[in-house]
Amino acid sequence: MKSKRLQLIPYLFILPNVVIFLVFVVVPALYGFALSFTRWDVISEPVFVGVGNYISIFTSSSFWETTQRTLVYVLTVVPLTYVVSLLLALLVDSNMRLRTLMRAFFYVPAMLSAVVIGVSWRWIFGDYFGIINYFIERYGGTPINWLTTPGWAMLVVILASVWARAGYYMVMFLAGLQGIPEVYYEAAKIDGASRWQQFWRITLPLLKPTSLVVLVLCSIESFKVFDLIVTLTTGGPGRATTFLVQDIYRWAFQRGDLGYASAMSVVLLLILGLLTVFQFRLTGIGGDAYE
Amino acid sequence: MRKRSAQLLVVLVLLLTVGSAALAQKKVLDFLWFTDGIEGEVLKQIIADYEELHPDIEINIIEVPFQNLRTRLQTMIAGGTPPDLARLVNVGDFAPALLDLTPYLGLEYIEDFVPSTHRNVVIDGKLMAVPMDVTANGIIYNKDYFAQAGVEVPQTPEEAWTWEEFIDKLQIVVANSPARFGLAYDFTFHRWLTLLYQAGGQLFTDDWKAIAINSPAGERAIEYFVELHDKNIIPRSIWLGGENPNTLFRAGLTAAHWCGNWMLTNYRDNIDNFEWGVMYMPYEARRSSVLGGKYIATFKDAKYPEEAVEFIKYFTSQEVNARFCRDSLFISPRLDNAQLDYEFGAEMFEIFSNELAVSPPVAGSDWAHPFAGRIGDDFREIIVEALQHELTPREAVEKMERVGNAILEEYMN
Repeated sequence: MKSKRLQLIPYLFILPNVVIFLVFVVVPALYGFALSFTRWDVISEPVFVGVGNYISIFTSSSFWETTQRTLVYVLTVVPLTYVVSLLLALLVDSNMRLRTLMRAFFYVPAMLSAVVIGVSWRWIFGDYFGIINYFIERYGGTPINWLTTPGWAMLVVILASVWARAGYYMVMFLAGLQGIPEVYYEAAKIDGASRWQQFWRITLPLLKPTSLVVLVLCSIESFKVFDLIVTLTTGGPGRATTFLVQDIYRWAFQRGDLGYASAMSVVLLLILGLLTVFQFRLTGIGGDAYE
Repeated sequence: MRKRSAQLLVVLVLLLTVGSAALAQKKVLDFLWFTDGIEGEVLKQIIADYEELHPDIEINIIEVPFQNLRTRLQTMIAGGTPPDLARLVNVGDFAPALLDLTPYLGLEYIEDFVPSTHRNVVIDGKLMAVPMDVTANGIIYNKDYFAQAGVEVPQTPEEAWTWEEFIDKLQIVVANSPARFGLAYDFTFHRWLTLLYQAGGQLFTDDWKAIAINSPAGERAIEYFVELHDKNIIPRSIWLGGENPNTLFRAGLTAAHWCGNWMLTNYRDNIDNFEWGVMYMPYEARRSSVLGGKYIATFKDAKYPEEAVEFIKYFTSQEVNARFCRDSLFISPRLDNAQLDYEFGAEMFEIFSNELAVSPPVAGSDWAHPFAGRIGDDFREIIVEALQHELTPREAVEKMERVGNAILEEYMN
């Protein structure tokens, strides 16, 4: 009897978390999935439409354009963020002076809300009120329409995203770097390996688990980007920086069709799932660590 | 000691009971509200007077930014807790959730209000809301810049400029004043519609069953709007970059602002570095403004629907509505409040009223369509595509017709 009670204790400890997870994640997700088979404007009763929403989505040119645009954004931001955060981690893991201060400095953007970042970057890249165009004009140049030209607007959004997240992933890489035993590097030095060879043959392979976490989290975060876009470009010019989540929001709260928006959310979930599986497979390729 | 403690306890219990009973008798009505200028403050004073007359009623204002109104209301309705009162811009959007006011006020209640508002609030023969104010699109301009450039705005309706004259005049002002651009233009389809009506077009067919924008007038309206952007009269950063047009006008970057009468209190209170006024809008095929409005309604599932209806009756009565509109610098929707004694901008209201008076009926009825808001969002995106030269004006109106009719078919079925 006493051992049965003791066996229950761990479950009691995790029970609050499980309940919260069920109530705020699982149940809404299931409800959203059920809604995806209806047309519902919130005000009237939901109307069952079967797979009508999914058919509309996959036959919509707008959906494919938005998905393509989102993939361009994700496939640019994720590798850039990976490289920048890894470089920052290598930098602050070295014996450089003021490295503690630099760690804090690089991490600061990660503490800011996306809304603050969006508004701030607008003040930097704004066509008429931005500081960059102010200096360009002041020194006789022609201002650049950063936020009203599709290509430039996408670039600004990508740069802002990388700047906002690099610090956060830098900390993950830093933890990963500090977990690599020094003895491997010592052995490599004795064998005459260059710094580049040490990085490629020791550091990178042993960072594989951390890399996987960074890639997966960064991908999910990139697909979910919302606040930054709304405050920086409002999805414009036109729809040049409108991604899947903005479209889901538009369908749910502006077009007033929660059923269609829920179906889009399910499709987004599937895309993220496929991407995650792909990333797991990708990081499984490449061989083992330095031998 | 024990006796004293017991006595104190009894007194405390009695106080709590009486207090709770008193609080319990007070009915708290939630009023979902958004503000354009100072009308929120005027509303608070009116509510204070109403609460004095009805000590059992307390009205709690839930103020939200205009762009969040729809989302907030949808969420409240979906959660089964709609407000008791709400300020709406499109009654048709929420008609299924609104309380039918006909049994309480009678359909004849709307006869006291300007006819162009009737189609907005009478849906399927039922009175679903009551107008509280009427809005008119119009142009506010920087008097100092125009004076500096030696350009005199039209002083009478007969002197109103044509569209081409308007471009010429603004270019002269920009060339001869600190203005960088001629015109800030609100990033809303409702504001763009002014051009459609001035070109002689309309949005819906008269029976509301199809889109009517695919016409020479619709094409001309888009063509003109693109021209205004290509000639740098309107800065691209508003419609393409989300820039706030109010900020551009207040900062003196633009010589004029195409907005509406609701901006008067905002500019009266926030602009003190230049003189400004209202000018007659230009025209193409005809002169026109766009009639808009705000409406007050209650909901079927409201906590206190009857009390809400009583407040609606009070708030839209001749005297209270006159006070609300006069102090907020709004145009009253009541026929018996046609001439209000405004403390500020009386001459500006003359211009707005004149332009409303010459507007075609569709300039009011189009926006009363229950799906006008939803269609407007999509059409605005199509206009942006035209501004980016991804569509010609012809292609743009054709796309609007396709997209709009698809939405109408989907939602009406």
